[in-house]
Amino acid sequence: MEKEILEHGLNFNRRRFLSTMSLGLGSVALGSLMIPGLLNGGDREESGFTPGIPHFAPKAKRVIYLFQNGAPSQLETFDYKPKLCEMYGMDLPPSVRGEQRLTGMTANQASFPLAASFANFKQYGKAGTWISDIMPYTSKIVDDICVVRSMYTEAINHDPALTFLQTGSQQGNRPSMGAWLSYGLGNENKNLPDFTVLLSRGIGNGQGVYSKLWSNGFLDSIHQGVQFSKGEDPVLYIKDPAGMARGERREMLDQLAQLNQMSYEEFGDPEITAKVKQYEMAYRMQTAVPEVMDLSKESDDIVKLYGPDCLVPGTFAANCLLARKLSENGVRFVQLYHQGWDQHGNLPFEIKSQAKDVDQASAALVTDLKQRGLLDETLVIWGGEFGRTSYSQGKLTPENYGRDHHPRCFSIWMAGGGIKPGMVYGETDELGYNIIKNPVHVHDFQATVLHTLGLNHEKLIFKHLGRRYRLTDISGKVVRDILS
Amino acid sequence: MNKKWRGIVEQFVLISAVFLAFLLAFEDQIIVPVWLQSFGRLHPLVLHFPIVLLVLLMAWEFFRFTREASPWIDTAEQWVSDAWISGAALTGLTTIFGLFLSKESGYSGDTLFWHKWAAVTLFIVFSGTYWLRNLSFYQKLNSRLLIGFMSILLISTGHFGSELTHGDGFVLEPFQQGKPIYLEDAIVFDHMVKPIFEKKCMSCHNPEKKKGDLDLSTKEGILKGGKSGKLFVTGKPEISLLLERIHLPLEDKKHMPLSGQPQLTDEEKMILALWIKGNATFTKKVLELPATDSLRIMGNTLFNSVQDEATNYDFSEASQETIDELTNEYRTIATVAKNSPALRVHIFNKSEFNSKKLEELVAIKKQIIFLSVAKMPVKDSDLLTIAQFENLERLELNFSNVTAKGLLALKTLTHLKSISLSGTQVNYQDLQMAMQGLKKLQAIYLWDTPLTAEDLKALSTKFKSIQIIGGFKDDGKSPIKLNPPELKNTSTIFDTKAPLTLFHTIKGVEIRYTMDGTPIDSSKSPIFNGNVTINSNTRIRARAFKAGWIGSDEAVFEYYKCAITPDSVTVVLPLNRVHKANGPKSFFDRNLGTFSANAPAWANFWTGVQNNDMELNLNFKTPKTISIVSLRIMEELTTGIFPPQAIEIWGKTNANGPFKRIHVLKVPVPKETRFHELYAIDVKFKPTLFSEMKIIAKPLEKIPQLNVAKDKARVRTRAFAKDKRALLLVDEIFLN
Repeated sequence: MEKEILEHGLNFNRRRFLSTMSLGLGSVALGSLMIPGLLNGGDREESGFTPGIPHFAPKAKRVIYLFQNGAPSQLETFDYKPKLCEMYGMDLPPSVRGEQRLTGMTANQASFPLAASFANFKQYGKAGTWISDIMPYTSKIVDDICVVRSMYTEAINHDPALTFLQTGSQQGNRPSMGAWLSYGLGNENKNLPDFTVLLSRGIGNGQGVYSKLWSNGFLDSIHQGVQFSKGEDPVLYIKDPAGMARGERREMLDQLAQLNQMSYEEFGDPEITAKVKQYEMAYRMQTAVPEVMDLSKESDDIVKLYGPDCLVPGTFAANCLLARKLSENGVRFVQLYHQGWDQHGNLPFEIKSQAKDVDQASAALVTDLKQRGLLDETLVIWGGEFGRTSYSQGKLTPENYGRDHHPRCFSIWMAGGGIKPGMVYGETDELGYNIIKNPVHVHDFQATVLHTLGLNHEKLIFKHLGRRYRLTDISGKVVRDILS
Repeated sequence: MNKKWRGIVEQFVLISAVFLAFLLAFEDQIIVPVWLQSFGRLHPLVLHFPIVLLVLLMAWEFFRFTREASPWIDTAEQWVSDAWISGAALTGLTTIFGLFLSKESGYSGDTLFWHKWAAVTLFIVFSGTYWLRNLSFYQKLNSRLLIGFMSILLISTGHFGSELTHGDGFVLEPFQQGKPIYLEDAIVFDHMVKPIFEKKCMSCHNPEKKKGDLDLSTKEGILKGGKSGKLFVTGKPEISLLLERIHLPLEDKKHMPLSGQPQLTDEEKMILALWIKGNATFTKKVLELPATDSLRIMGNTLFNSVQDEATNYDFSEASQETIDELTNEYRTIATVAKNSPALRVHIFNKSEFNSKKLEELVAIKKQIIFLSVAKMPVKDSDLLTIAQFENLERLELNFSNVTAKGLLALKTLTHLKSISLSGTQVNYQDLQMAMQGLKKLQAIYLWDTPLTAEDLKALSTKFKSIQIIGGFKDDGKSPIKLNPPELKNTSTIFDTKAPLTLFHTIKGVEIRYTMDGTPIDSSKSPIFNGNVTINSNTRIRARAFKAGWIGSDEAVFEYYKCAITPDSVTVVLPLNRVHKANGPKSFFDRNLGTFSANAPAWANFWTGVQNNDMELNLNFKTPKTISIVSLRIMEELTTGIFPPQAIEIWGKTNANGPFKRIHVLKVPVPKETRFHELYAIDVKFKPTLFSEMKIIAKPLEKIPQLNVAKDKARVRTRAFAKDKRALLLVDEIFLN
């Protein structure tokens, strides 16, 4: 009788209990059928990746990428090919060229005369690295760097090649390397952006750089690269207007955050929180940025090390000095672009000037990091987007010639965090056209960079529109031979 | 069971026992006929029944002599006895089938041995207990002892049986990670190929069993092969027997491993194929293979490089709450790697720093392995706090206020490997004393300190195992050239007067300049002091000098006076397609064009005409008196950019009425090549009132043949068509 009274009171009996329960379980089952991830308990273990923490102990903590835009000629800088002198003026043998496509600029040339480099090469350092005499300062730091002569890519023009090198795919709309690192590792100094970009140009024939090269693609917009410009305001629109006190700015931001929060609760758009984060970052940058960008306090020794141009805003040397300062203050990825290396013609004259712009400052950067004890934790990369042809574009004369784009081999150097110093990796054939030893594809290079920072390039992924994307796209293996 | 059946089953048990004894006695000489082999294969099926019965019966028997069981004894015993003998019969049957099975497929010796004898013993004991259990001495204690013994036998039999089917160490396998092999040590055969043989092949192809006469446990055995022939042809996986057998369809009798056994994965098959292709090396290490070798690439994925393994720290993790509490905007605490307890700490923002910020970190003092307080006002007293971070490996103190004396406190840091002291005021004496206390130190950074080159050398000699890095110090032996002075004004075009704002980014530089176009003399030319005003068109030449530096190249700044600006400009004849610049706005925008065609502003500043005259109408709302009209042009003769051959000035005094020609200037045509230049051409005439002005500049109609000047080395040559019309480029017009 007690049981009946109880059940009546609850309006619930065993029969109803069982039927309701089965309905409940059934709906959960239906839900898991319709919503695949419903019962997964979070995708964390699936990717094995928690943003913000390296997968394994890294050697490098930050990157400074000295990007030489326009594609510096490897035959005039790091790849010594005396055979070109012997075969000066002779046509490029078809057996060497193979099926390589040429750009529209040289495809209709009647002949492809091999052009010997005007520059003289000498060997330096423990590994006997060949460096041309247009880069005398780099030859002095040759025992700190690893020259990779066997880089190659598939892209033959600047835009796709740049995009390929920065984002891992020739088609755009993907996050760039700096954005991936910002996503994967975050930042050490919360008052500065994770990813900054500094531009400069030389007098040589230049190509443009586009802001898509430092975009965040489909990652959160907080990972976008911040371009610092050379004017009075390194970061535009950061300064408070005249007459506004910092406290007022703080109040305004607090109110704004409240409004944004209301908006977020209504719409749930993650971009709103990203925007709030960016406002907060801008607020902190107001104090942090001017201090970092202030070059006036640098000692004479530093000025002598980088060269006097380092105090002139907008030059490559000044950007190198700023890069060191930014990196020292915890910025994860500092990218410099120096434009003007696209020597289709007038190569001897222009490349000497381009080299002069960058040589002393790049070497100084490595030395400066080393003497502060920061080189072991900073990865410095120097290089362009592809190489240049062994044959001359346009008329070949003893004093003047040009070189067209060449994706099959190019040279870069790397120094610092995790890279074996004082070595040369990879080899090209006698004419500097094909790679004969240890090719390093752009994806391999990217995998290696991620590896020195403690990230497994196959595990650093982001799921977007149903596909798992990663910086190295679908290929790439870490080049362990250059790791220390 | 009725008595008849009971009798039959008991008999069966006895017969099984005898038969089993016979089988065991003549084991080695027995061949199982084909039709009995199927029964043998029923062993894994049949064994389940006796196991269940035995477990239940033993459980009952265990509690048989207790008081709680006594009311049930009579009911139960009707069943127990029947069940017991049935269980014994089934055990016998299972054991016999098992013996048949053991004869045909290869199972490795020891495990089979124990499994077999445990099973046989269990059978005997269990069967025996059927008759024993009703005897008087069989009471609680004895029964329980017997049951304990039988349980052990049952578990052992089951355990060894499972090892036969699933391999050794099956149950505990998840716990045994084993020492990982690092990529650097991995040997192709030992670590990639042999494990495959061990796991999947050697249960049959071992020295004891040697199925098909093949023994895979030794190199000789592998090379020798078996009954069907050699295992492989070196370098030719396509015709190798080993691969043929593993790639046969599963149903094929000759497929290896046998279909009941664990099969090879695709990866393992690939490893074997690649190994044979690579000449079946027994000694080569994975890293000795070329980097593009597929076997090496596979090895890369199988083994971790030793450098990837996070150094195993033996301290415990700090709690996430503590870390979150301590992390703020100016103090970052980061985990070194996933699953690692080690932490890195980085402190920023000088103005917010105080000693408390370091003291708070004592909460995680065990976990910090890296600390950076560079540029923070860290004092010697703070070093006492830092000395508590017992596992610290790297310390950055660049540009802080510590002294070498304070470093003595760090001798408790037994793991400290690297320390940066650049920019600090450490002195030699105290430093070398402090360094003696830092036993594990490997590197020390001492740039920009009071230490001299001799001090650094002395340190290197004293501490041979430590890397002493002093950095760049200018010894004055290779002076560099200064960069030229710059101008603060953005525009050098002025109405009435303008200050000269020369400056130089490097401190302590003196700027020497001339205003009359003469070259700079490093000792005689006036030094710029900031109080110079310019009132007319002036060409400023300036150079920078400083002791210890090479004097800079010359910088040239052209100042132009433009007292009058029109209210509007109209372009009457079209500008050249490529040289439109900013249209009519370009002429008075106060922006001077530069020479470098690669500068982005080039196109925006230079207007040009080639196939027609340049004709501009300038309008003045209130009429103005003008006596000079200047056109700033670019001259680059070698590329066909020439000054105009003539400039005509026409004017109107009031808006109505026609234009009157005021003046024509014929510009001399250059006869010789000369270096490119930017300059202004002045058209002077008597002062006239203009309400509207028309300027016509005519490009040179026919480019003449130029004589090559003597110093042609300075002239960049590029071919251009002769007899063509020259290009006229104008970036700015001045009216005075």
